[in-house]
Parts: sequence; C-alpha cells; structure tokens
Amino acid sequence: MRKDKNINRSDAMTLQTASSEDTQRPQPATKRLSYLLRVNSADPTLMLALLLLVVFGYLILAPVVLLLIDAVTVHFADIARTKQDLGDLTFYYLNRVLVSPISRDLFWWPLAHTAIISVAAIVISFLVGAPIGWLLSRTDLIGKKWFSTALLLPYMLPSWTFALAWLTLFKNRTTGGQPGWMETFGFTPPDWLAYGALPISLILALHYAPFVILLFGNALKQFDTQLEDSARSLGASPATVARRIILPLMMPSLVSAATLIFAKCLGDFGVAYVLGVPVGFDVLATSLFRAISTSQAGASAVLAGVIVLLGTISIIIDMRLLKEAKRFVTIGSKGAMVRQTPLGKWQAPAFAWALLVFIISAGIPLLALTLTTVMRVPGSFSLDNFTLDYWIGTDLGTTALRQGILLTGEFWLALWNTVWMVGLAAIGAGVLGLLVGYAVVRSPVAFVSVALRQITFLPYLVPGIAFAAAYLSMFAVARPPLPALYGTPIILVLAILADQMPFASRAGISSMMQLGREPEEAGQIVGAGWFRRMRSIVLPIQRNALVSAILLPFISGIKGLSLVVVLAVPGTDLLTTYAIRLVDYGYSQAANAVVVMLCVVAFTGTMLVQKIGKANLSDGMGSK
Amino acid sequence: MSSITLENIRKSYGRSGPAAIANLSMEIGASEFLCLLGPSGCGKTTTLRMIAGLEHPTDGRILVDGKPIVSVADGIFTVPEKRNMGLVFQNYALWPHMTIRDNVAFGLTLRRTPAAERDAIVNQVMTKLGIAKYADRYPAQLSGGQQQRVALARMLALKPSVILLDEPLSNLDAKLRLEMRAELKRIHAEAGSTIVFVTHDQWEAMTLATTIAVMSEGELQQVGTPDDIYERPANRFVAEFVGSLPINIIERSAGETGPLVSWLDQVLALFGIDAAPVASAGIRPEATRLGRLSQHEAARCAAGYGSVVDVVPTGGSWIVEIDVKGTRFFAIATDNPRLSAGDTTHFWVERQHLHLFDREKQRIVL
Repeated sequence: MRKDKNINRSDAMTLQTASSEDTQRPQPATKRLSYLLRVNSADPTLMLALLLLVVFGYLILAPVVLLLIDAVTVHFADIARTKQDLGDLTFYYLNRVLVSPISRDLFWWPLAHTAIISVAAIVISFLVGAPIGWLLSRTDLIGKKWFSTALLLPYMLPSWTFALAWLTLFKNRTTGGQPGWMETFGFTPPDWLAYGALPISLILALHYAPFVILLFGNALKQFDTQLEDSARSLGASPATVARRIILPLMMPSLVSAATLIFAKCLGDFGVAYVLGVPVGFDVLATSLFRAISTSQAGASAVLAGVIVLLGTISIIIDMRLLKEAKRFVTIGSKGAMVRQTPLGKWQAPAFAWALLVFIISAGIPLLALTLTTVMRVPGSFSLDNFTLDYWIGTDLGTTALRQGILLTGEFWLALWNTVWMVGLAAIGAGVLGLLVGYAVVRSPVAFVSVALRQITFLPYLVPGIAFAAAYLSMFAVARPPLPALYGTPIILVLAILADQMPFASRAGISSMMQLGREPEEAGQIVGAGWFRRMRSIVLPIQRNALVSAILLPFISGIKGLSLVVVLAVPGTDLLTTYAIRLVDYGYSQAANAVVVMLCVVAFTGTMLVQKIGKANLSDGMGSK
Repeated sequence: MSSITLENIRKSYGRSGPAAIANLSMEIGASEFLCLLGPSGCGKTTTLRMIAGLEHPTDGRILVDGKPIVSVADGIFTVPEKRNMGLVFQNYALWPHMTIRDNVAFGLTLRRTPAAERDAIVNQVMTKLGIAKYADRYPAQLSGGQQQRVALARMLALKPSVILLDEPLSNLDAKLRLEMRAELKRIHAEAGSTIVFVTHDQWEAMTLATTIAVMSEGELQQVGTPDDIYERPANRFVAEFVGSLPINIIERSAGETGPLVSWLDQVLALFGIDAAPVASAGIRPEATRLGRLSQHEAARCAAGYGSVVDVVPTGGSWIVEIDVKGTRFFAIATDNPRLSAGDTTHFWVERQHLHLFDREKQRIVL
C-alpha cells in the first residue's frame, strides 16, 4: 500500500518555489503582534533580561552615573561658596580637587603616592612571583603541590591584615597604643620602616604576588615546550630562546598581571589606612575616604571619578591584551608538551626560596598576629606576659572594651552581621549571576544581552571605595521605591551584592554557555514549561556552578574592607569594619584577635570552595 | 500518524536580515518517512525546528492534520510544549543529572500519568530498545549508541504523533549505524508514525527515508523517492549533491569549447536530441563503463576515450581518473580495471545515464 503511494510521491507533493501570491496577503499589524506575543510567551527570557536590566540599572548604573553627576553639580553646602544655585553645573569641585591650593594635599600627593606604591608593588611582586610561577609550573620542585596552595594564602586573606601584622612588628612611638615587637626587643624602627611607602608597597606586593604566580604559571603551563625545542634545534641559545620565544608569548599574561595589580592597588584602602594615614601618607583611596567622612560630597565625587577613570583605563588595557593573547592560542597545538625541568643541585636553593617567600608573606605575619593576641606587651616572650585576657578576660583596665573579644557583644554582632549580610548578598549575587548568565546567553535581542553583560561588569572597573561613594550618592537620600538607606544593613547588602556581580555574572555566563540550549529544548519537547524547565533542568544541572557563584562572592565579601568601611555604621559593623574601629581606638590585641577570626573564616571558606568543585581561586581573580 | 503541511514559510533572523528560508511549501503525508537532505546551512535544521516549535517562522503557516499550529497572519502559535511531537537531538541532549529511567519518565511525569502506568510504559520502552539494564545509570556512563537509544526511548514513551530526528545516524560508527537504521525502520513500521529527519549525509537519507526532500539555500530543490533523486535529479544542484563521487559535469554554455564539448555534441546528435537548450550535461562516474564497444553497440551509446591519470582502489571498486584531452573525467570500475597511469582507455555511457540541464540548470526531460 505504502509503496504505491510513494512511487507517486513526487507528483503528489506540491512543490512551490518563490513568488507565490499567498504570502503577500495583507496581515493586520495586531495579528502579527499577537503572533509575536504568543511566540515569546513560551519563552519569558526577554522579560527576564529586561527585568534584570532594570534591577542592575538601578543598583549599579544609576549610582555610578549619579556619582559622576555629583562631581559637576552644586551641593547644598556649597551654594554660598560657588554663588550658584543647588544642582547647577559647576567646575568648582574639579577646580578644588585638581587646581586649587589644597589640591596638592587632596589629590596630587595622594596620586603620586598611589603611583609610587603601585609601581613598587608591581615590581616587587614580579621579582617574587615570577620565579615561583616558573618553579610551580615547570620544575620538579619538592612539595610543589603544597606550595601551590600555601603561596596563594596571602591572597585568601584580607590585604590589610598584613598591614596590621606589620604594625604589630614594627610600630614605633610615632603613633600611640601598645608597643611593637621590635620596640619591645629594644630596637626602635625608624618611621620610614614602620610607616608609609615602603611597608605599604611591600605588603601590597606580597598580597598580590599570587596574581603573578597564577597568571604567569598558567601561561607557562600552557606553553608548548616543542616551541622551545624547535628554536633550540635551529641553533638558538637558551638566552635567545628566553628572549625571543618565551618572553613575547608570556608578555600578555605578564602585562595582564601588572594591570590587575595596579587596578587592585588603586582601590586598596585598608593597607594605606593602617600604615599611611597615621603619618599623613595619603593615597587616592584614603584621600577619598577623608573627603567622604568630612562630608565633602563634591570633592569625593571628583576623587572617586578619577579612581574610576584610572581603574577603567587599566582594565581596558588588560582586556585588550587578553584579546591579543587569544590570537596566540592557535599556537598551542593539541599535542602540546610540557616538560618538567629537573632542578638537580638547585633543588635546595629553590625550595629555600619558596619557603622563604611563604614564611615572609604568610608565616610571620599570621604568627605575629596570633601571638600578639595572647601577649600583654606585644613581642615580650616572658612567661607571665602570656594571657588569654584579650580573648576571654573580664575587667580589663581599659577605658572601653573591658573584656575579651569573645565576651564582647559588638564582636558577636559584627560576626553575625558579616555572616548574614555577606551571606545574603552572596546568595543574591550567585542566583542573580546565574539568571544574568541565562538571560545574556539566551536573550533573543542582542542589544539587551550586551547591555546586561556590560552593566553587571561595571563594578569591576570601579574600585570598592569609589563604588561605596557612588552608593552614598545614590542611597543617602530616598530613591523611590527605596527610602534613604544610609545606616541600614540594606545598603551594605545591596552594595556587596552589586560589587560581586562582575564575578557572579561571568560565572553564570560561562556556565550557561557550556550548558547549551539542547537540554532545555529537550524539556520543552516533552512538555515542560519555562518555570518547570528552570526548576527541573537548568538549575539542577548548574548546581555546582551556583554553589561556587555563591561561595566565592561570600569569601571575597567577608574580607572586603574598602567597600563597607564607608557604608557601615557602628550598628551595622562587619568584622572588617569592627577590626578597623578597634585599630582606630588603639586596641591592637583585640583588633588582631578579630582579624585572626576573620582569617580563619576566609581561609576555611576558600578551602571549602576548592574542595567542592570546579571553582578555582584564579577564577575569582578575574583572570578570565 | 499526522500529516504536516508547510505553507509559504519564510524565516529570517533579525528584523531585515536575509531570509534563511525564502518561501518553502511542502506536504508531508501521514506515516511518511521523510528526509530533509542538504548541505549545512541550507535551512533543513531550521525547518525541522520550526515544525517542532523551537524556532518560529517569520511568515507562513504550518498545519498538522489540516489544523494550523502556526499561522503568522492569524496570530496563531502553538508552543512546543503543546505540540506532542518527539524530537531526538543530534547530540541526544539527555539530562545529565537524571538517571536513564528518570530521563525516560520525565515527560510522563509532566503529564501526571499515574505512577503505575508510567512505570509500565517506561519499562516497556526501555526493554524494547534494550536499555533496561542501564535504567539506574547516568547518561555520562553510557556509550554514544546507548545514549541515542535513551533519547529514542525518552521520545517514544510519549507516543508522539510526529517524530523528528536531527542527523540520527551521524554520531554512530558503521556497525551501530546499521543497527540504528533497522531500529528506526522498525519503529516506523510498528507505530506507523510520521517521521521527519534531517541530514547532510546522503547515505543516511537514501538508506532510511521513503521520501527525500533536497534543500539548498533555503529552497526546496526536489522531492521524491531515493531512486527519483538519484536517477532523475530535477536540477544541477541535486545531480551534483547526490552521489558518492561528484558527478562529471560538461559545460556547454556559450564560450565553452573543447574536446569534451564537441564529444557531447556528437553524443547528442547520435541520440537525436536537440542540442540547443542543453547548457550542461552530467554523467555519474558509476554510470560510466570502461572498455571498448562493438560497432553495433556503439550506435546506441555515448563512447569516448582518454588517457588514465590515476587509478585509486577504494576496496571493492576502483576510481579511474581519465584525462580527456585536458579535461578530467571520473569513472568507477566495479572490477579491477588493470590500468595504470598513461594507458589509453575507452569508456561509454548509456543514454538513460545522460543528465541534461538547461540554462536555468533545470533538468531537460527527454
């Protein structure tokens, strides 16, 4: 039967080619609209994307834009001085910050200091990190595995904890409070050793050296040794190979590490605050902080704007270079071979070097911090000097904080605040990041997806302290639908959430890219609607990605200081701001104790993330 | 068991982008096993996805059993969830976080089929496809062939009225291809379902389909049985696309001269064919016979000769590359031709194997 039918198939089948009259029949616009509505009702992705665009337009774009507007409009406090009306366009603040007599202290010296410490930090971190990157990726160094975690330790902890450790060791009489270890040992460190450019650069360098270790090490790991071999076989000397083959190919990763370190130093507030401010050594971040805390809204907007500008430039350079680097990817053929160089008699010196770096960058600071918390006089090792008073003591002879940290309400409040605020922000960032990923990858309108990707990436260009300034511009007054938020936990949660969006959305986008459309379409075919597909297919498949998109922002949020130091008030203190407040009061031991607790939380969290899954510390660094 | 009608389908991406499919109309009868065949980018997968509802046409109508499921002019669009069609993806798209059993049962769960009935159906389908023993494994633990069986089971469990397959055999090795081909034929015979599949692989199309629709650049070129397509290609594109070794084409349009063209003219005269409309001719390598003909036979066939450039054994047959006074001509010998480069060989072609095309590259029906 069927056979008969098939023979005549080609005649029976109507075969029409173009220019049929039928398509041209008039189609009412309303019908076409209802068709498109029906098509899209099956797939609310565009709605979701637009909704997210509104949310992040409000949480990220609006604050930054407002901040920039604040820099060039008259504020209430300055109506008399500018002789202009409230909200008028003015160059008063630009003038004040950049040209006026006080501009030297407000802007130019801080700028010079920032430049000096960033350059010094970059140079030192390269000297320390590059050899270690090579040792870890290309040699048979003993204990390589252990080192590759241990040497990243400084980055897992907040940078300013190392500033506190430095203070603990090298503090002198220039500032008040408890004496430093050196002083107790009988050696009074001079000011240039105790405060200012030298210690700040050194600490930033050691803190960000893991960038170099990871980026340079990874680039070396992907580097095909056959390229070296072929150059050698053509008669090139090892020096020529290093100069003409390896260095050019490593260049993108090296410059990328340098720009990242620069961008981070630009926004790093804590280290300069602890080691610079007491002796009047200001960087842009601390100058901005002072402008904010003295209510100079216009000047702080200008300063924040400059920081944003510098941050943007450095990140754009980095992205350009990463694009460049992608051009080289084709070189690494599939048969890439990575050969381990045997260290031989250099094994011992190499091991010693790696161990030394570990001891200086992590061992000594952490030990000093921890030991100080159980010493009455820091650095004095007589037995009766040891005490647990700063942890669990009562009736201490101090004006405030008359009991150990563990018995202090504010500490537990700060810990609780940290956990719930950062936790909530991280969960929000993780979930929204995944949704952003979904919307960006699936949005049928390319413009919406590009806009969403750029906006969620924006905080990356804005160093924490400038972002906090932007949040003050935005939420210090009521912005419908939200009331004035300053002093509430909500502003902290929103700011941390927004600040973590670059990483969370990148993670979301890349995991959604890997997912592909098919699993979801297969669900559609068997009859699953959009919400059901989300619940039963997309989210379960992305469970691991979601976990790391929540945990990494959580860890990074816990140790972040520059963002929250502007926004937190005593009632909404987090561990970081609480520790800084204790430093301000001169309670070194208590501050150190808080910091030690913070380190424990951050370190455990990081280890947990690495255990749980694909999440890697280098992902969190924005090296992708 | 449903018939599908596509009416004046246009599909373009972006507001004014070029049309991927300009104006496509075709009818797929109930219980037909139809293949959309074409090179990549010809719009065949888009067509399949539009039938499934995963893409929406910019214009036109799609009807199932005469009832529109898509009609742009009338504002009708049935979402894919509601179409009761089964689609097997090229990469199978199994849900990696569900066991095989859960993969197969998911659709039934969505339909709120009672648990007992659902389990019975799932077990039955899995047994039939020989994957019951993997029921509690995850997709990543199965081989490609097994995964495809799971994808088939997942689709069959819902008893779809139309089965859509995207390159069903392409990811399988030679042995599995034969097995899966038999499996699909059996499903078609047993359920009597309408099956539509797309492929760029003519072997896949020829061996599976009862009807082949050849597409190119978003337009339908020819619809017919595998034999139709192969023996009576409707135009140059179909002639050149179908066939394991590319068809020999002799251009005869204005300005083309050369020994092969004058040979063709002689052949046309010999067959008593009006040469005026002929712009090109195609001769399949496998229709080209090697050897000399007797005087008597030569009167009925197109015969020629040339020098052998190369003989390529392909296991079972030999590709003979012939140089006809500067033009390459390919022939396939099923017996070892025992020729080597430089030898002169004669060849001949029967009249029925001569495909002639006009200036619009359409077939000239003799």
